[in-house]
Amino acid sequence: MQTEEAIIHKLAEKFSILKDKLHVQRSKRIISDFLTREEFEQVLPYVRDEMGFYRATHVVGTDEGEDLGFIYLLTNDEGIILALKEKAPKSNPKISSLSGDYPSLEFHERELVSLFGAEVEGLPPGPSYPLPDGWPEGNYPLRKEWNPEYFDQKTMTYNPPVDAKEKEGEKK
Amino acid sequence: MSEYNRVVIPIGPQHPSLKEPGCFTVTLEGEKIVDVVLGIGYNHRGIEKACESRNYTQIIYLLERVCGICSHSHTTVFCQGVEELAGVEIPRRAAYIRVIVAELERLHSHLLWLGVAAHEIGFDTMFMYAWRDREAVLDILAAVGGNRVNYGINTIGGVRRDIDDSLRQDIVKMLDALADQVKYYQELALTETTLAARLAGIGKLSGEDALKYGAVGPVIRAAGIDFDIRAVDPYAAYGEIPFKVITDTHADVFGRTVVRILEMLESIEIIRFCLKNMPDGDIVTKAPRRIPAGEVISRVEAPRGEDTHYIRSNGTERPDRVRVRAPSEANWHAMRHMLLGQYLADAPITIAAIDPCFSCTDRAIVVNSGRETEVMDWPQLRQYSIDWYKKRGIDVAAIKMPERRMYF
Repeated sequence: MQTEEAIIHKLAEKFSILKDKLHVQRSKRIISDFLTREEFEQVLPYVRDEMGFYRATHVVGTDEGEDLGFIYLLTNDEGIILALKEKAPKSNPKISSLSGDYPSLEFHERELVSLFGAEVEGLPPGPSYPLPDGWPEGNYPLRKEWNPEYFDQKTMTYNPPVDAKEKEGEKK
Repeated sequence: MSEYNRVVIPIGPQHPSLKEPGCFTVTLEGEKIVDVVLGIGYNHRGIEKACESRNYTQIIYLLERVCGICSHSHTTVFCQGVEELAGVEIPRRAAYIRVIVAELERLHSHLLWLGVAAHEIGFDTMFMYAWRDREAVLDILAAVGGNRVNYGINTIGGVRRDIDDSLRQDIVKMLDALADQVKYYQELALTETTLAARLAGIGKLSGEDALKYGAVGPVIRAAGIDFDIRAVDPYAAYGEIPFKVITDTHADVFGRTVVRILEMLESIEIIRFCLKNMPDGDIVTKAPRRIPAGEVISRVEAPRGEDTHYIRSNGTERPDRVRVRAPSEANWHAMRHMLLGQYLADAPITIAAIDPCFSCTDRAIVVNSGRETEVMDWPQLRQYSIDWYKKRGIDVAAIKMPERRMYF
């Protein structure tokens, strides 16, 4: 049985990029800092195949301001959760699908597409989830700037007031 | 068979063997399922977004309504996550009450499932027995929290309702009667050949595939994997309570039935232990309204399996992000795999066997009689039903019921 500290030590030894980026939050919880897509994809196969984190509970999408965050909750046989984080800019929110190695993530990755506007490369074709087909493009409800008050359910259009639009333009 | 002879059938989106919308687009070769496309999301209500505009206390009541059956599980996982962020330790008595309600919830959920599963295979007598017995559990839950579902027990820092001695005795009495019934279901499952013949070999899912597809709860335990959050990552008072993690090696719908029945017997023992060993003291401790910035991954073992919440706080009264991963969400992928290669006729029981989530009904009803609107409570509804039959020549009160165990 591996302790949380031993897992961190082994990973930091294998990947210098992980030094000081993994933390034991409490018993059974290891949380990483945000990694770039390249760093994440470098670490993941080893974590899955060599460290025993071959089960994926889910992936949490987050709005990190200019970026989108993706927190993958991976589990080993001892029930330790390793929360491995990846980040991509909102201007180019591309990540790779992990549904090939972790089939349990397929619906969760569809959520990232629908609710955050992530571009999940390699995600198998399938119905939109959880938002319905015909949901207007460019509307990503779990992004912080999206306000449900401005969404007209009858016309399915998003109509922010002019000053809100200007503010959004200034941000960009 | 040529692919030109394949038939595509949409099952759903209305009530495909469960009382909630989902669409399973099934491709058949003859009677056998060769492909399934899952269409879910019809019930998306934007709860996670709504959490971001509410304070932590309001969110408890919102999350309680994620699921009518696992309502206590969702509030437990949320409250314990927020308590961890705030550094609040709940009183031990509150931890025991959380366990008691959680196990009562497991009992009513498993009995509900047993009834649904029996109905799906045409065994309606067992469906009625199981749902009759579930009523006894719901009556106790109503006495504990004031409601049959959405009991409103949890709050940040503990629980809102205590269990006094009189209620404790009522629970003990109910458990004694229920234990006999569940033992009967156990005997039935293990000895009734028609039940085994209908369920064995249906919805096969090996342990390896259960892990691969991320299955949880009774589905994974019926595939021989002893993964139960109560044991793996104990919360509330589970670390102090002796109990067995129930597993089975049939890896099919029959195995899932056996696991759920045996889990009910374990739940009864857990509640008995809690009632006997519950410490005296407060049931709630003060928690701050503003939760310090941080993030937490909280999980519990709901009746249907692992329920996980990710909560990120930002130092205010409202969270920055709440992500709910309910157990049914984890079992869909495994269910698709189970359906492949099955006969179409086995699809309803295979779908039902993961115990997909569906909402419970409200206890009050609005009756429009002419211009007046009348709201009827539960006893009035019962009386209305008795009177309705009396007018048609049937006096329900005069019917002599057989002894409860006569049919055994």
